[in-house]
Amino acid sequence: MAFLAVLVLLVNGLSTAPLGYFDFVYLSSGGLTLAIAAVGATIVILTGGFDLSAGAVIALVNVVLATHLGDDLASQVFWAVAGVLLGAAIGLFNGFFVAVLRLQSIVVTLSTMFIIGGLTLLLLDIPGGHVPESFSNFFVGSAIDDLFPSAIVVVAAVVAVWLLVKNTRFGMAIYAIGSDQDAAKAAGLNVVLNKLGAYALAGAFYGIAGVVVTAQTATGDALVGEPLLLQIFTAVVLGGTLFGGGRGGAVGSIVGAYSLMLIVNILLVLNVSAYYSTVVEGCVLVAAALLGAWSTPGVRNWWTLFRQRLAPMPGTGQGRPLVSLISQRSDRRSRSAWLARNGETIRYISPAFACFAIVLAITALFMAPLSFSYFNSILLLSSFLIILALGQGTVILAGGLDLSIPWTIGLCGILAGGWLHGSDAALWWTIPLVLAVGGTIGLVNGIGVVAFRLPAIVVTLAMNGILQGLALLYSNGTPDGFASPALRWFMTGRFAGITPVVWFVIAFAIFGLVLLSRTPFGRRVYAIGNNPRAARLSGVNVDRTTVAVYVLSGLCSAVVGILLTGFGGQASLGMGDIYLLPSIAVVVIGGTLITGGRGNYIGMIGGVLLLTSLQTLLAGTTVPPSMREIIYGIVVLFAVVALRERTSH
Amino acid sequence: MRNFWKASVLALAATTSLVGSSHAQDKIKAFLSMSYIGNDWQGEAAMMVRAMTLSAAYKDKVEFETQVAGPNAQKQIQQINAMVQAGAKIIVVYPISPTALNQVVKNACSKGVAIFTYDAEITEPCAHNVHIDQVAAGKRAAEWLAEELHGKGNIVYFSGVPGTSTDTQRTEGSLKAFEKYPGIKIIAQTPGMWSQAVTRTEMSKILATHDWKDIDGVLGQAGCYTIFSMQDEAGIADKDKKPCSGEGTNGHRLQMLPADAKVEGASGTYRPMGARSFSYASPPVSGAYAMKLALELTLNGKKVGHDVIVPLPDITNANVKLCKEGSFAEMAAGCNVQSPVLVANPGWFAEIYNSETPEIGLNAALTGQPEM
Repeated sequence: MAFLAVLVLLVNGLSTAPLGYFDFVYLSSGGLTLAIAAVGATIVILTGGFDLSAGAVIALVNVVLATHLGDDLASQVFWAVAGVLLGAAIGLFNGFFVAVLRLQSIVVTLSTMFIIGGLTLLLLDIPGGHVPESFSNFFVGSAIDDLFPSAIVVVAAVVAVWLLVKNTRFGMAIYAIGSDQDAAKAAGLNVVLNKLGAYALAGAFYGIAGVVVTAQTATGDALVGEPLLLQIFTAVVLGGTLFGGGRGGAVGSIVGAYSLMLIVNILLVLNVSAYYSTVVEGCVLVAAALLGAWSTPGVRNWWTLFRQRLAPMPGTGQGRPLVSLISQRSDRRSRSAWLARNGETIRYISPAFACFAIVLAITALFMAPLSFSYFNSILLLSSFLIILALGQGTVILAGGLDLSIPWTIGLCGILAGGWLHGSDAALWWTIPLVLAVGGTIGLVNGIGVVAFRLPAIVVTLAMNGILQGLALLYSNGTPDGFASPALRWFMTGRFAGITPVVWFVIAFAIFGLVLLSRTPFGRRVYAIGNNPRAARLSGVNVDRTTVAVYVLSGLCSAVVGILLTGFGGQASLGMGDIYLLPSIAVVVIGGTLITGGRGNYIGMIGGVLLLTSLQTLLAGTTVPPSMREIIYGIVVLFAVVALRERTSH
Repeated sequence: MRNFWKASVLALAATTSLVGSSHAQDKIKAFLSMSYIGNDWQGEAAMMVRAMTLSAAYKDKVEFETQVAGPNAQKQIQQINAMVQAGAKIIVVYPISPTALNQVVKNACSKGVAIFTYDAEITEPCAHNVHIDQVAAGKRAAEWLAEELHGKGNIVYFSGVPGTSTDTQRTEGSLKAFEKYPGIKIIAQTPGMWSQAVTRTEMSKILATHDWKDIDGVLGQAGCYTIFSMQDEAGIADKDKKPCSGEGTNGHRLQMLPADAKVEGASGTYRPMGARSFSYASPPVSGAYAMKLALELTLNGKKVGHDVIVPLPDITNANVKLCKEGSFAEMAAGCNVQSPVLVANPGWFAEIYNSETPEIGLNAALTGQPEM
């Protein structure tokens, strides 16, 4: 809160003219959508979930309102309420899959995001619609003319609702479930019902945000929600809510949202170059998280902790493990029990491959006979995600998440193009150097997570922003490098009948499989993901392995950056953006638990093949983009529902 | 907490005094509010806008700053408001949404700020929009392709970013034009997102289930350079390459030059192929033109209407011509593709000529330095 006050003072002090009432209205209404959406996201995060559908719901409500609002009061009240209820209904839809079917929230809401996004485009494919002025004024005008902005009233109302809810049994249940679901259940809470309620409430808040954005922009735009998503999570983190559930609150998120908006204003007033703005935002994110961590006594003396962490752990290095759980398990192996041992794994990974087979069958029936070149294309197009899935998958198996993938790819690709500049001779030093850059990025991520005890999401999200700034600075806005002939041949030529990268990716997949299932490193990753304390006690150097996991992810992103530059001939800024959500989706579709510990690289590859073959099938048709998104979302949802059916028995 | 406050107050005092010392000059303030950075089109447009403010006629009268909003309309609203607060007289905008900025623009206008957009539009009546006729562009590109194929054949269509007015209008124009040619069949239609990289990925997907033999032509809002490059990689000889209609990158225009043209610096697929093609693009020079109109309005009172329609570039194999140095005079005489020696990036947009902007030549687009 103090942080926010300082920011307001800063903006006021820095502006050439002191802030007038009009600016006050703008500041208060400018952050309103973000603040309310962040409240919704906070509720889901408090239950221990993660909601990617927020932006899509906001856009759908926006478009529905803009196309239906009438000039009379009755119609405006009706549609505003309908918008909120629509949000709540979508929340219930999410809640049903998460609470009742016990699917992972991240992949359910990802599917919802696609389905809702498609529906929104179907409703309105060109920005427009009609929003009466009275409607706008009610939410973002003045409550008392020239004295008091309505937006403040709206925020106050949202805070009041939240505080009321928080102090009910339902509100306390949200915190209890987020802290420890099993304990909450044991204490007699109806987990399913309360979770359903939480998702519906979150949806309702997105609905309100959708109503507000309609009032603020006085128009409908199907693309209004998409860029909000990352900001919503940044606001939640800034507000001090912890991912994983149980701790934090919506008031903090509102403060976080307004702080974010004011930071933008300060950067504007100070005229900080646009290239640096993502860097500054990233640094603010880390600073806020550190400040939040500071208030917990255990972390305040982090330097002491840090030094302890650097000291050798008991039971590592040459020493013998205190307890050797892992080696005992391997003693029990017997050939005849292969199916019994792996039966569980097969059940997790088979849905992805089964769905892949179905897509193949449909392609063969309706499009074209499955030729050799079809499989070559599928593997070529899958190669990026197969490589990324190893990095992201290993991070997730170890209980983390890597959100820095987009701009690690972007920066590495741009560096590769810039250093190669079309020269094959430069390949020999460019590739190792770019890989070193990717590894270093991973190293910094890992150190941030381990040494500063920051949530992985915060560290990697901040890293992503900083890398974006670096990429812009290096390329000065337009990357001018290009791939060398050999790299281009690697991605587009032919070797023994197939594209060379396909050979590479097959080798890479084998490497990944061996790495995760047959090496001590792999066993440590699973051990950490299952229970870091137990892993530490059984002699795993948790910190070193955690850092290694992020380094691996950085390396994988660097490889993809180089390959993408070869594929397109040149690197472009933002070329990694489209790979973030798929990299998480394929890991989860492949049967991996998003909280870590359970999963298999083969399953992830199945997930990649499924998504790629589905996209390929759709690309070869004239199905409009809106329907594509809906189909895509439904298939992902179907795949995870199928997964659940197998695992519950 | 007390230390935190103390530090903040100190920092506040320090920054306020810093800003206070840079007092206002008698130059007017002009801002550029961009949406995305990091694609060639936007980068060039920004360079040329800057060059315009540095040209001899204006450089002593205007102080220029650029801000980037990213893809977020909320942020652009704040940004424009902050510019008004900072005392802007001119704001040239690449608007993220045609309607979302209306209220903030209206407020800016009421304070006497001139608001000009380029490429995309703002519907608020007090704004001035400099752009091409998008429906006509889509129509012309489709008609050219249909005529080239003698009204018969299977085509692939790459649209732009779904949900934007530019994409919807161009697609509407193209589909309407095809209605007159019942022999033309769209066998695959997919968003190319105005990106060469996306076009390549999507075309690879399409080629997994269709063969080049079954495709007679391609219509792309962007991506023809990639389409011809991919045909090259598939081993299709220059004379057999399928036509592609649309987009105006330098790489694409170079491919349109006769296959036997000798061009210094050409290599790989960035070379003359005699590729059968029609090239248009929303010209990135429109940004500089918008800035010029805004300066003329503010400094010299020259009135401008709500819409300023710039002519649609109409480049075919008949009139594509290589520039030597890319000066304004040379482009005015009819050249429209730059040498690969000067422009190493094939994705660079070649449409930097506007008869109204003699300040802008190749140098302005590459380095932000005006011709005069």
